[in-house]
Amino acid sequence: MKLNIEGLLVYFPYDYIYPEQYSYMQELKRTLDAKGHGVLEMPSGTGKTISLLSLIVAYQRAYPLEVTKLIYCSRTVPEIEKVVEELRKLMEFYAKETGETNKLLALALSSRKNLCVHPEVSSLRFGKEVDGKCHSLTASYIRAQRHSNPSQPICHFFEEFDALGRQVPIPPGIYNLDDLKAFGRRKGWCPYYLARYSILHANIVVYSYHYLLDPKIADLVSKELAKKSVVVFDEAHNIDNVCIDSMSVNLTRRTLDRSQANVETLQNTIQRIKEIDAAKLKEEYRRLVEGLKEANVARETDIYLSNPVLPDEILQEAVPGSIRTAEHFVGFMKRLLEYLKSRLRIQHVVQESSPQFLKDIYEKVCIDRKPLRFCAERLRSLLRTLEITDIADFSPITLISHFATLVSTYSKGFTIIIEPFEDKTPTIANPVLHFSCMDPSIAIKPVFERFQSVIITSGTLSPLDIYPRILDFRPVTMSSFTMTLARTCLCPLIVGRGNDQVAISSKFETREDFAVIRNYGNLLLELSGIVPDGIVAFFTSYIYMENIVASWYEQGILENIQRNKLIFIETPDAAETSMALEKYQEACENGRGAILLSVARGKVSEGIDFVHHYGRAVIMFGVPYVYTQSRILKARLEYLRDQFQIRENDFLTFDAMRHAAQCVGRAIRGKTDYGLMIFADKRYARADKRGKLPRWIQEHISDGSLNLTIDETVQLSKHFLRQMAQPFRREDQLGLSLLTLDQLQSEETLQRIAQIAQQV
Amino acid sequence: MAASSEEVLLVVKKVRQKKQDGTLYLMAERIAWGPEGKDRFTVSHLYADIRCQKISPDGKAKIQLQLVLHTGESTTFHFANENSALRDRDAAKDLLQQLLPKFKKKANKELEEKNRMLQEDPVLFQLYKDLVVSQVISAEEFWANRLSMNSVNHSTSNNKQEVGISAAFLADIRPQTDGCNGLRYNLTSDIIESIFRTYPAVKQKYAENVPHNLTEKEFWTRFFQSHYFHRDRISTGLQDLFSECAKQDEKGLKSMVGQGVKNPLVDLQSLEDKALDEVNLAGTDTIPLYKTRVFGYGTAATPSTSNSNRTVKENSNSAIIKRFNHHSAMVLAAGLRKQDPLNDQASETSSTDGNSRDSDLFQPPIKKVKLQEAIEYEDLQQEDGLKTVSLNLKKSDRYSHGPVPIQTQHYTTSQDIINSVILVQHEMANYKPCLTQVMSSTMASSAIVALSPGGVLMQAGTQQAINRGYLSLSLHPKMVPSEVQSELKHLYTAAGELLRHFWSCFPVNTPFLEEKVVKMRSNLERFQLTKLHPFQEKVQRQYFSTNLTGHLEEMLQTAYNKFHAWQTRRMMRKT
Repeated sequence: MKLNIEGLLVYFPYDYIYPEQYSYMQELKRTLDAKGHGVLEMPSGTGKTISLLSLIVAYQRAYPLEVTKLIYCSRTVPEIEKVVEELRKLMEFYAKETGETNKLLALALSSRKNLCVHPEVSSLRFGKEVDGKCHSLTASYIRAQRHSNPSQPICHFFEEFDALGRQVPIPPGIYNLDDLKAFGRRKGWCPYYLARYSILHANIVVYSYHYLLDPKIADLVSKELAKKSVVVFDEAHNIDNVCIDSMSVNLTRRTLDRSQANVETLQNTIQRIKEIDAAKLKEEYRRLVEGLKEANVARETDIYLSNPVLPDEILQEAVPGSIRTAEHFVGFMKRLLEYLKSRLRIQHVVQESSPQFLKDIYEKVCIDRKPLRFCAERLRSLLRTLEITDIADFSPITLISHFATLVSTYSKGFTIIIEPFEDKTPTIANPVLHFSCMDPSIAIKPVFERFQSVIITSGTLSPLDIYPRILDFRPVTMSSFTMTLARTCLCPLIVGRGNDQVAISSKFETREDFAVIRNYGNLLLELSGIVPDGIVAFFTSYIYMENIVASWYEQGILENIQRNKLIFIETPDAAETSMALEKYQEACENGRGAILLSVARGKVSEGIDFVHHYGRAVIMFGVPYVYTQSRILKARLEYLRDQFQIRENDFLTFDAMRHAAQCVGRAIRGKTDYGLMIFADKRYARADKRGKLPRWIQEHISDGSLNLTIDETVQLSKHFLRQMAQPFRREDQLGLSLLTLDQLQSEETLQRIAQIAQQV
Repeated sequence: MAASSEEVLLVVKKVRQKKQDGTLYLMAERIAWGPEGKDRFTVSHLYADIRCQKISPDGKAKIQLQLVLHTGESTTFHFANENSALRDRDAAKDLLQQLLPKFKKKANKELEEKNRMLQEDPVLFQLYKDLVVSQVISAEEFWANRLSMNSVNHSTSNNKQEVGISAAFLADIRPQTDGCNGLRYNLTSDIIESIFRTYPAVKQKYAENVPHNLTEKEFWTRFFQSHYFHRDRISTGLQDLFSECAKQDEKGLKSMVGQGVKNPLVDLQSLEDKALDEVNLAGTDTIPLYKTRVFGYGTAATPSTSNSNRTVKENSNSAIIKRFNHHSAMVLAAGLRKQDPLNDQASETSSTDGNSRDSDLFQPPIKKVKLQEAIEYEDLQQEDGLKTVSLNLKKSDRYSHGPVPIQTQHYTTSQDIINSVILVQHEMANYKPCLTQVMSSTMASSAIVALSPGGVLMQAGTQQAINRGYLSLSLHPKMVPSEVQSELKHLYTAAGELLRHFWSCFPVNTPFLEEKVVKMRSNLERFQLTKLHPFQEKVQRQYFSTNLTGHLEEMLQTAYNKFHAWQTRRMMRKT
């Protein structure tokens, strides 16, 4: 249908529309008009992606000079591919309606592992191997060597691309990962480099968060993206953690040992090269004096993403003389390594700030701040000069160099924690140095500053106001949308007690309590008897799940559950879990029914949807608080309190609730779907917890479903499921939760739609 | 009443039943008991009727065996031989154990099959009512050659659904304490079958070890003692029979994991697009090893946490979890295994294709489908067209080519017919009677009789006769009321069925067929007496003008004649 969103003609590729989609588009348009940032929460499974795409594409067509590019960031590879498929659907609709061929170029970008077509390289299993192998075939000096030595293997796909690929732009169209590969094969071009090159002039780019947020990657990939772009972060409820992860470094003793070996290799290589080709090192020395200055010229034009690892002011200078020659630098790295090793030889926990660390390193081994800052850059240059091919082997030393650069660059927002052992196993020495970022705004700041509109959206962003605070930006719109329903297809229930009236909770004091564990088991057992097809249960942590499963096994609860359904359990091993997941879906598919026991914050809870019969009930056992004894977390909480005036408890609850909401939200997609959402912890009944759930879930929690016993839960669930099993036709929805074009034109409907969005 | 033909598999003397001494016979198809000194069985049960057997516990003074029938009744035998009571009982038990499952399955399957056939075929049902319910022939006779006929047909066309395995079958084996510090497990053949189907490794062990190394009982005792059954126990000794099974399972699990998943949307390994291992376009590199998950499981659980760090308890916990996944997967697989020879083939071919170097060439179809599924909103879309039911064709070539005459070469084309008509016309036109060679009138009429139905030359083919019967009905439908018509039809089908049985006995070359043909003849007579005569009388009372049953009687008479001829021949041969 064709919509009129405040004067903008929007093509929407469906015959019907949900009212909240209309409302969402309105808000989005306002944000784009204002050229500002927005935070939008829309219930999961109400067609967020297609609304976003429809509006932004329409906007792009209407004002090609205002918005030149859409950068759509999502979390996982399947999600990226889904977005591109939805886009394809939209463009097909455009082609059908307007009759003109599509002039848009849209493409997905992913790592080499997902895009490589080289027969040998693509058969490698791990991303790192693929990258390393690719590098060994495409590095500039390898290609240079090829001129003198034709037997040197190179990648023909890359050569072809390098020779021809840049001259003619890729024809307009929608390119998913597989399409890129097919195109690459047809032309004989490398799809990965083709995609990386093409994102510069593509109208729509779909890729992972890291390509924009991680400074190390963003600098390579997204450096030249136009300023007049709209950036969308979908599923952004975890964006702060992504930011923090991209700036944090963990060093173990193993890393240090392997770095030591790296340094040895470097030294030997230098020695060898010196004997053969001393000019090469001289050349590098000369280049270092000039090289960075050249980079500086390029950087001044401001359109580049500023790289937090190398802030602008340092680039005025050349690499300090103390590490300019290769031998000196290797010696410098040795000293640094020795120092780090000595720091790891401790008996007690140490926590310090970056300046403290720098002071200490200066006093102990006389390493200055300045050469430290150049560490990463200098190592890169050295590795290139030495023509190291298997670059993957040098990742430990690279990690050290990044640590050095980061620690010497940032004096605020970071902390260093050295733990001699893990808390669980105090007898086994396993020292770790955590250099952890506590301020997510550092990594995302350049994005907000550079692009004209950044949209942060997800199904679960409540409470909305906390995101602008921790990410430190000022949005022009902040809205939360409800879900209009013709029938209440979600049924959140809070179970607070067992049938024996013992309160159930995953609270630390009672979590090992026999009665609590038994009641949790009974809840699952009872539900396994009444819920059709699939049930997904989430635990607060993996260890907790292990313990509970073990005691359920001893008590024979699992056996009784097995009478009703098959049981599959998430394990720390991703491959094993994938298999379990597939079998789980198979069991749901063939009518046997199954239960998946999983972990909140785990891979399953973040990446897998349990729509329709794959998840008729989601049970959240306990409140998924983070492990609060973690020192990193404590440091971060402290920082949040000092810098952003966010109370510790507020943040912890917020974090727990967003994960709980994320878990239960996985079960609903569209309004024909339905599912139970069972919160099995009495603490959910409290206002401070409940209030932090997304509005579209909160609305359906009545006072009657606050502190239920297991029996009551079963009764309510039975009632709900019986109702949901009735046929549900389009006519039931029309006008209420589903609109036709005609209905959209009536004044009354528009008034109702206006109430869907709640401004914060 | 002991039929001499039955093979006796086991005879146990001194078995008491209802406080009477006697002898227990286990025969090929039934178990029987007769009191001492008498030549008849007072108790006789077909194996198919027995639901299960129960035995008295080992320590008890009375050594007994109880049979529970499907009807709910039970019979208890007391083994009273002082010296060998236990051995006798066990021998009987073991034999029964082997025999019962065979009959059980057969009985159930047959019953189901019969039921289904009757439900699907109303004509057959009517026939069944006419013949079996009114006790013209027995049910066995009725089914005797029908089942074999149909089972071939149906087993190929209907893929019967296998009954799956309950996930909790191991839990159903509830150990009971026997009072003196021991546990007792009750195993039924169902449970054993479940174990075998779910864990092929155990089945293999069983085949290897029982009975030459271990008795069955020992085998299962060891099974229940092994860590294998108790999933939380960590493997300790190598002498454990089942440690190998566990290893095999481990391997199976690994290979299952190694195969990866077909649905890319659930593949957690390729889920994340951590492109952290980026390499610069120009060739300079940064490959950091950032593996932090600050808010991961617990705190940044490093993958380097080796197993040595884990306590025994944690290890056993993770073993339980692994086992549950494996168990569920195996149960699921056992349920599906039989079902999809076709799918298997498909997946096999695709997997072999997939192994060829460029695996992703073959990936897209399933991926595309899954992606499309994932982005679809069924309620936003206008429904396109009605959902159609797929056509299930037994023989697709017949569907596409239409019915083809089986013997085309015997059919004459219309051109042939026209030609022959022309020929005949031509002949007729030139016909000149040759009065010297005319047939006598008696000979002519006998030729006509021989050529009419029932005549010497038209004897073969009851089918034709039935057609004629119907024909006669359709000729004067006005004269005969419809209920008589339908009754006549039933009589025809019933008679046809009986006659089919009868004629199928010829040539009579086995004693069994001899017996059957005699029986069939009496059946036919009984049919004539109980069915045909009353009908005849009824018809005669109302419509004496027409003889509706004449043809039926003719057919019966032919059969009697044939029987008579056969019998006299046989008598002659005997004397």
